[in-house]
Amino acid sequence: MRNWTRRRFGATALAAALLAGGPALAAGTQPYAGMTLNLASMNDPFATVLVKLAPEFQAATGITVKVDVLSYPELLTKVTADFIGNTKGYDLVTTDNVWSGQFAEAGHTVVLDDWIKRDSAELQLDDIYPVVMSSLGNYHGKQVAFPFAGYANVLATRKDLYAAAGLEAPATMEAMIADARKLTDKAKNVYGWVANGQKGPAVAQDWMQYNAQLGGSILGPDGKPAINTPANVASLVVYKKLFDETAPPGAVDYDWGGREESFRQGLVANMQTWSVGASAYDNPDQSKVAGKVAIVLAPPGEHAAKNYGVGGWGLGINADIDADHQAAAWEFIKWIASPAVQKKMAELGGGGVIRKSTTHDPDLLKKYPFMTVIDISFTNGNGEYRPRIPQYPQIQDILGSAVNAVLAGGADPQAALDEAQKKAMKLF
Amino acid sequence: MRSTVPGPEAIGGRLARRPIAPPGRALTWLWRPRGFAERRLAFLALIALPALLYVLLVAVWPIAQGVYYSFFDYNLLRPAARSFAGLDNYRAIWEDETNRRAVLNTLVFTAAAVGLELLFGLALALLLWPDGRFNRVATALMLVPITITPLAVGLLFRALLNADFGLIGYWARVAGISGPHGFLGDPASALGALVLIDAWEWTPLMALILLAGLKTLPQELIEAAEVDGATYLQRLRLVALPMMLPSIFLALVLRGMDAFRVFDIVFATTKGGPNDATTVLMIQAVKQGLEFFDIGAAAAIANLMIVAIAVMALVFTRLIRHADQKVAAG
Repeated sequence: MRNWTRRRFGATALAAALLAGGPALAAGTQPYAGMTLNLASMNDPFATVLVKLAPEFQAATGITVKVDVLSYPELLTKVTADFIGNTKGYDLVTTDNVWSGQFAEAGHTVVLDDWIKRDSAELQLDDIYPVVMSSLGNYHGKQVAFPFAGYANVLATRKDLYAAAGLEAPATMEAMIADARKLTDKAKNVYGWVANGQKGPAVAQDWMQYNAQLGGSILGPDGKPAINTPANVASLVVYKKLFDETAPPGAVDYDWGGREESFRQGLVANMQTWSVGASAYDNPDQSKVAGKVAIVLAPPGEHAAKNYGVGGWGLGINADIDADHQAAAWEFIKWIASPAVQKKMAELGGGGVIRKSTTHDPDLLKKYPFMTVIDISFTNGNGEYRPRIPQYPQIQDILGSAVNAVLAGGADPQAALDEAQKKAMKLF
Repeated sequence: MRSTVPGPEAIGGRLARRPIAPPGRALTWLWRPRGFAERRLAFLALIALPALLYVLLVAVWPIAQGVYYSFFDYNLLRPAARSFAGLDNYRAIWEDETNRRAVLNTLVFTAAAVGLELLFGLALALLLWPDGRFNRVATALMLVPITITPLAVGLLFRALLNADFGLIGYWARVAGISGPHGFLGDPASALGALVLIDAWEWTPLMALILLAGLKTLPQELIEAAEVDGATYLQRLRLVALPMMLPSIFLALVLRGMDAFRVFDIVFATTKGGPNDATTVLMIQAVKQGLEFFDIGAAAAIANLMIVAIAVMALVFTRLIRHADQKVAAG
C-alpha cells in the first residue's frame, strides 16, 4: 500500500511537472537546464530580492542561480581576485558604475554589445533610461555590464520641520543651504542638513555629488584631473560651511550608515541620498520619522545645469568562463532586466530602477510616490560626476583624504585641493 | 649504583645492527645514509618533512614572494605592465606624508596601548592573585572581551561613541569631556580613543599572562620577605616583580606584535581619519593591496611591518632569556 502510494504520488508529480514545464523542456527551450550560475552581489536591498527571485528563474530556464551576498570592499576584492586568478568562481558580478573603467580596461567582463544588438527587441531598450544605460556599465562606447538597479540622487526632507518653519521644499542648492541654516536649532538637537564626513570613500562620494550640483567637476575637458579649479574650491568652501553651521557635530565622522541613522533618528531636516533607501524612511520599524519625510529632486545650484546624480549597479559577465556559461548568464541578465521582473523587484523592495515602465506603473506609483522624482532625475540625469576611469579608486582616496582634512583637520580648501591635484596627476 | 637502563650508545649499537629502512627508494640515489647518525637524521627529516613543507608553503613562500614583488611596479589591474622598480616602493613609504604619519601612529598606538594594558593588566593580576571563589569567577568573566572579534568591538564602540546619538559619545560631548565632534571625530582625541578601545579588549589577556606568572612565584620567598618586615609594596617591587620579568616580557611581546598590526578597530571606527589622525601601517597596506591592487606598494609596507615585528620579537626574546637566567641564578 505504501509503495503504491509512493508510486502514485511520483506519477502525479511527474505529470504535474510535464504540464508545468514539460512542453518547454520537450521543445528544447531550456538549453542551459541543469547549469548553475554563481552571482556575486553587493549587499544592497536588491540582494535579498535576487535571492528570492532566483527560484523563479530556475523554474523558467532550469538554470540555478546562487547569490553570494558581499559587502562593498569584499565584493570588489573577491571578484577582482577571481578575475585575475582566472578561477571562474563567479559567472555574474554586480558592478558599481565606477568600476566599469577598470573592468573594461583589464577585459575582466564580457563586452555585451553584440548580444544587446541581437536581442534589442526583447530587451525593449527604448524603455530603459538612456542615462542609466550609459552610466551603469558603459565605458568608451562598450557595454561591459548591463544595468539592473539604477539609483537617483534625491533630497529627503522633513515635511514637519519645513511646515513648522513655514518653508517650502528647496528648488535650488542655495535655497537648501538657507533652509538648513534656518532649521538648525542646536539647543533642541535639530540640525538643518547632514552628509558624509568620514575620511575615505564616504566623504569623497558625497562631496563629488555636491560639487557637481554646484557646477564643479573632477576631470577637465581633456579627461585629466582638474581638482583644484575655482569652482571645486568654492564648492568645498560651501561644503565645509554646511558642516560647521548646519550638520550634527559628529557628522565629520559619518559614513553612509551614520548619515542615514541621524536622519532616521530625527536629528536632521535635509539629507541627499540614493533613492534606494527612500522607502525605509516611512517604515516605523526602522525610522522615527515615518510619515514625516518627503522625497524631492536634489536641488541643483542656481547657476549650474539642472541635472541630477545617477548611480547604481549593472551586471557583468566574467570573461573567463566558458561560452555556455556566458550565454546562460546573458539569459539571466535579460530576465532580471525585463519589465515584468523589474516591476517585481521594485514591489519586493529592491530599490533600483532602470525602466520608464517601472516609474510609470500605477501600482508602484501608489506604493512609492517618489517614483516620479526618480523619473525626472533619470530623464535629466548625470552619471558622469564620478569618473568611470581605471584610476577612480585612487582619485576617490585622494579626494577622501583632502576633503576630510578640510572638514576635520582645519586644512585650507585651496591648499588641500592643490595637493590632491598634484597627487592625482601622478596617476596619469 | 650502576643504572640498568641502557645508554644511548647501547641503543645506537643495537639499532646500528638493525638498519632503518631507507626513506624512499627514489631518494636513495640522491643520498644513501650511512651509519647510525645519518640514518637517524634521515628519519627525523622524514617525520619533520610534512610540517616543513607546510611552513615553506604557507609562510616562507608568500613572504619570499612579498619581498620579490616589493621591488616591482606591479598592479593586479594591469598585470602586463609589471616592471622592475628597485627601491621605489620603499622610498614611497617615506616620501608620502600619509605613510610617514602611519608609521608614527603605529608606533604611538603600539606603545600607548601595550603600556596601558600592562599597567591595568598588572593591577588586575595583583587583585586576582589570592586564590578564592570570587577571584576565580572574576577571572572567567574578565575574559569576555577577548572572545569578541575585534571588528565587532570596533563597530560596538563606533555606535557607543557617536557624538550625536551614542550612549557614551552624546553625553561626553554634552558634558564637554570630548571635543565638539566627539572622541572619534576630533583629530586630537581619535587615536587616544582607539588606544582605550584596544585596552578594553586586550587588558584581560595581559592580566591573564601576568596572573599565570604570579601564580608560579615561590610562595616561601614572599612569606620570608613578609617575616623580615617588608611592606606590600616592597614585597612587590623587590621580590615579585623581578621574578615576574619573564612573564612581563612575554606579555609585552605577544601584545606588542599584535598591536603593531592593528587594523580591525581602525577600519570599523575611523577608516584612518579624521584627517590622518588614526592612519596606521596596516590600513595603508590593505588600501594599497585590496583597494588599489598595487601589490608592489602593499608588499613594501607589509615587509616593513614584518621587519619591525621581527626586531621587536628578537629584542623581547633576548630580554626573556636574560630575565630567565637571572631568576634561575636567584
